Parts: sequence; C-alpha cells; structure tokens
Amino acid sequence: MSTEKLEQLMKGLAGKQLSDGVGLSIEMFDAENAVACIKVEDREEFPIYMTVDEGQILCISYLFGDEQVDPDKRAAMVEAMLMMNVSIPLSAFSKIGDQYIMFGALSPAASTDELLHEIELLSDNVLEAIEAISDYLKEAA
Amino acid sequence: MGIFNKLLTAVRGGATEVGEAIVDSQAIRILEQEIRDSKKALHDAKTGLTSIMAEKMGVDRKVKDLTAKITEHEAYAMQAMEKGDENLALDIANKIAEFEHELTIQQGIRDGYDSKVASLKKMIRQSERNIQAMDREVSVVKTTAKVQKANDLASAKFSGSNSSLRSATESLERVKARQQQREDQAAAAMELHADENGDDLQARLKNAGIVDSGSSGSSILDRLKKQKEQS
Repeated sequence: MSTEKLEQLMKGLAGKQLSDGVGLSIEMFDAENAVACIKVEDREEFPIYMTVDEGQILCISYLFGDEQVDPDKRAAMVEAMLMMNVSIPLSAFSKIGDQYIMFGALSPAASTDELLHEIELLSDNVLEAIEAISDYLKEAA
Repeated sequence: MGIFNKLLTAVRGGATEVGEAIVDSQAIRILEQEIRDSKKALHDAKTGLTSIMAEKMGVDRKVKDLTAKITEHEAYAMQAMEKGDENLALDIANKIAEFEHELTIQQGIRDGYDSKVASLKKMIRQSERNIQAMDREVSVVKTTAKVQKANDLASAKFSGSNSSLRSATESLERVKARQQQREDQAAAAMELHADENGDDLQARLKNAGIVDSGSSGSSILDRLKKQKEQS
C-alpha cells in the first residue's frame, strides 16, 4: 500500500465535483494502511474507501453486515448478488469478514477523471443495490 | 497451494473463528507470515536472476568470440587455397571444425540460460502478484475492522445505540429523502425564478403601454357597452 500515491490521488480529487455538480469530501482515514475516505455530498451514509498499491486503485463501499440479512433469505440474496454482478457497471459485490461490500478497481495509472467516474458510478450503484437487495434484509427496527 | 486457495483459507479461517475479530484471527496472522516469507523468497529469486544473467553474459561473449574466430579462419582458409597450399587449408578447416563444435556447445548453454532467465522472470512476476494480493487482503481486512469501529462510534454518537443508524435500508431512506428535498428545493427555486421573471415582464409591458395598466373596471365597462351597442 502506497501512502505517497494515495496522497497524490487525494490531491487530484480535492475540490472536484461529480458530473452533476455534486461535491466530494476526501480525507485520510487510515494512514497506516493508506486508506482515504471519500464522502459524496448528501450520501454521507455510504462513504467510499480508497486505497492504492502497485497493482490497482481499489474503491470500496460497505453495504451492510451479516446481522442485517434475513437468515432465511441469505442464500437467495447471495445468489442474486452473484447474478447481478456482471450487469452492474464497473462495480461488483463482495464480502470482507461479515461485511457485504461493493467495490470497483482501476488501473493505478487511471486519470483523475476516470477515478471521478468510478466514484460516481460506485456511489450510484450502492444506492441502487441496497434498494434492490432490501427485500432480503431484516425489516428495519 | 494456489494464491486464491490461500486467500480463501484465510478469509474462511477468519470467518469461522467465532467471537474473535477477523483481524486478530490466526488465519490473518498466517497470511502475514506468508507475505514475509514470500517477500524473502522474492528477494532471493531476484538475486538468483542477477547472477544467472551475469553468467549468461559470459556465455554470450564466448559465442561472439567463436563466431568471429570462425569468420576469421574461413578467410585464412580461402587465402591458403588461393596460394595452392591444400595442406594448410585443411589444417585451418580442421581448426574451424573445432570452433564450430565449441560454438554449438556454447549456444546450447546460452539457450539453457535464456529459458532459465525467462522462467525466473515469470516466477518473480507471479510472486510479486501473489504478494500484492495477500497484502491487499490483509490491508482490506484491517481497514474493514477500522471502518466498523468508526461506524460504531458514529452510531453511538448519533443514536446512543448502534442498531438504527447502521441499518442500510434506513440509511438509504435518509439519502433518498435528502435527495428528494434537494430536488424539491431546486424545483421551487425554479418556479420562483419563473414567477419573478413573469412579474417583471408584466411590469415592463405596462410601462411600455402594450398592456393597459388600468385594464380593469373602466376598460371592461367600455367593452361591454360596445358589445351592447352592436347587439
């Protein structure tokens, strides 16, 4: 994980807006593991965590934990996620520990514009995905 | 074991160790040890590659020397034949045969080095990728733990409990409500703007005398009177 490269990317994104004029805030989340936290204006509930190494730039958004999944619908949900994966533009579902995530990966040589596009799509995809998957989640208490 | 298998073992191991944070799990610690070992192996492989490439350069030089010597002696043999010295020409030709034999051997050695270098380079690339993948896995797991901690803190701060704020569907509802509000505000602002423009236009039309500013009681009464006269 490269802190230097991450700081470069952060500098590139600073003050930038998404295509519809929506603002972004970006800050170092975890300097030890070189992770930045990006918040899209009005969507602060679903921050995007960005990290970079020699192989790729990784953007991750956390959807929900295992405890929010209706246990009876878990297998069906996982199957639905797998089947949705291909048609979701630039993002894919995954799981880290007990957290379901959505992520997108870019070449480390990607431009700031490409990175912005990735962030915008990931942010949109996360909202769409939770909407689509909410049937499999426990009713909100 | 392939790299994907290793990663799967690590995440499975982490997930099955109930009650223990995945970051502190034995599987992740094993993966971290594996990364250290792989990095050491990678370093050794790179050192090995350097020395093999140096040896190969030595062989390359020998091949070049032999090729030059063969060309040189072929010229000598031609000269000997031109002078009609068949014996000398035959001696030189024998020498050339020796050189050619040696050249074949050295070329074989060089080819061996070439394929060794290629396979070492491939191995190095592969282990670099593996290390990256393992590094990424460990870092992603550690980050997730920190994100969860941060989320818990945020939840506690806002709601006192950590159930309501963390629900993905409720978060989505909040985001959507905010977006709707923003859209409504934008629409209202646009309407207001249009109204203002409309008012402004009316005022300018009146000022210009195009729209009668007194167009109310008296003008309507006049119009009605005219209608009555016509009927």
